[in-house]
Amino acid sequence: MRGGTRTALVALLLLWSLGPMLWQLYTSLRTPEALLAGAGGLAGGWTLANYGAVLGGDPPFWRYLLNSTVVGALSTLLTLALAIPCAYALSRRRGLLRLLVGGGLLAAAVFPYVLLFLALLQVARQLGLANSLLALCLPYAGLQLPLAVLLLQAAFAELPPELEESAVLEGFSLWQRLRWILLPLMGPAVVSTGLLVFLFSWNEFPIALTWISRSELLTLAPAMARIAGSSVYTVPYGAFAAATVLGSVPLLALLLLFQRQIVAGLTQGAIKG
Amino acid sequence: MTKTASLRLEGLCRRIGERAILDGINLEVAAGECLALLGPSGCGKSTVLRVIAGLDPCDEGRILLDGRDITHRPPARRRVAMVFQSYALYPHLSVERNLTLGMELRGVPPEQREQELAAVLELLQLGGLRRRRPAQLSGGQRQRVALARALLRKPQLMLLDEPMSNLDAQLREELRPQLRAILSGGRAPAIHVTHDQQEAMGIADRIAVLHDGRLQQCGTPRELYHHPANLFVAGFIGRPQINLLPQDDGTVVGIRPEHLVAVDSGGVPVRVRSREWHGASQQLLLESAQGPLRWTCDGNQEIGEELRLGWEPRHEHRFREASGERLGSPGRHA
Repeated sequence: MRGGTRTALVALLLLWSLGPMLWQLYTSLRTPEALLAGAGGLAGGWTLANYGAVLGGDPPFWRYLLNSTVVGALSTLLTLALAIPCAYALSRRRGLLRLLVGGGLLAAAVFPYVLLFLALLQVARQLGLANSLLALCLPYAGLQLPLAVLLLQAAFAELPPELEESAVLEGFSLWQRLRWILLPLMGPAVVSTGLLVFLFSWNEFPIALTWISRSELLTLAPAMARIAGSSVYTVPYGAFAAATVLGSVPLLALLLLFQRQIVAGLTQGAIKG
Repeated sequence: MTKTASLRLEGLCRRIGERAILDGINLEVAAGECLALLGPSGCGKSTVLRVIAGLDPCDEGRILLDGRDITHRPPARRRVAMVFQSYALYPHLSVERNLTLGMELRGVPPEQREQELAAVLELLQLGGLRRRRPAQLSGGQRQRVALARALLRKPQLMLLDEPMSNLDAQLREELRPQLRAILSGGRAPAIHVTHDQQEAMGIADRIAVLHDGRLQQCGTPRELYHHPANLFVAGFIGRPQINLLPQDDGTVVGIRPEHLVAVDSGGVPVRVRSREWHGASQQLLLESAQGPLRWTCDGNQEIGEELRLGWEPRHEHRFREASGERLGSPGRHA
């Protein structure tokens, strides 16, 4: 009986989290007529035309995927490159300084960034950063840096100090200690932090919308908004759903690829290693 | 290749805020000698190691290794190897990589690396374990890997921080002679921190007793046992603990439990409170007019109801009660 309840609960949870995704998948494979007909007939009305429309658009949909991938990857790399040294330095500090810096970072991490996007737009105008994918990485990395530093410094602080001290006595330089001892041990934390940054830049909308206007440079989120708003008279549910499905495929692939590290990163510190 | 070196600490002080963790430590360790730093937990003995290694700053005093002042040298350039209490093996690397990574990064050529690795694996009987991860090793094996890694550093000074405290009692006893052989085989001075006096006596040539950040006494195990410099050392060295009998003239008489003998007349009348029989010997806790007494005697000794204990005057230690320092001339043992 207990086993049965448990299975039911797990099924409910899965339905709760997977439901919207399955619905999108279903929508993306239906003709507009079939969608409007409701649950009438599941026998007919299946089509791949929505995908054809999205992929055959101008510019084609894979272009947006590529743009988002480039921006996401660069933002992630930039964030990690800056956050790892910061986090290391912070984790080796004690007392008031660490408390103040940590508090500042926390405040910055929880600040709603939407309030910043007008100011950021001004910055982009002044410095001529509009319509550049590389420039888009700057606000993304900047906005995700506080959270990344906080997460990574917690991971650094969790490593036993003797490991690094032992390496110091063996004559390792700072870089060698990071490269050979600390970072390999922090793999899960680095991967899960990197994925959070990637997810953020993948999903980010207001900055991408305001900084980029040339359609071949659009990232996924504003591009999908364009599809949804492309017609005044109808909402192209099918095409929109197809774009959503295509847009989440790379994320799913990433999650599957790093599944083990993510789970390890999330449960780090739960048990002694 | 390694020049013989000796270590000298001159007035070493370390303070955290107002509190003195180390208060003017003077010590000398000769080349090839093994010194044990012994003391209760929190006495500062691990801090001495960390200051020598350069992991903790030194607020006052000097550290001389082979005559050169290394007090302010970065730890990486001191050529000091340390075996940590937790062993601090790199958990993501195999035994072999744990041992060779340091050599590789220090620029030791591959052939020499392979040679030295083979030699140290042989010395510490680790040959069959070279592909294992630290997590797949037993406590004793981890300790040997940590020791091997320290030896491969070719240190001018070897530091061991409670290297046995994570091992069970039987293993500790087995490893003690091994460790002693390896440490005395090297030409570098070694400092071994422990809170276990048996371990200190078994491994070290000399023992330095530390208490509250101050050096209490430094000498051979025999000197510490026969001529404790003060009440603290007298009470700390020797198990069971020495009997301390306060006198009316402000002095304390110390007499070791094994130096008490049953006498027919005279001596102190006592009553037996508890008795532990260990086979070859037995421990008794006795009640006397001067307070409780510990007595260690032969396992075959018959214990009667009425008992009087005495001791030979040459076994008597006298201390000033207020300062704890030793009074008068010591016994005849050297």
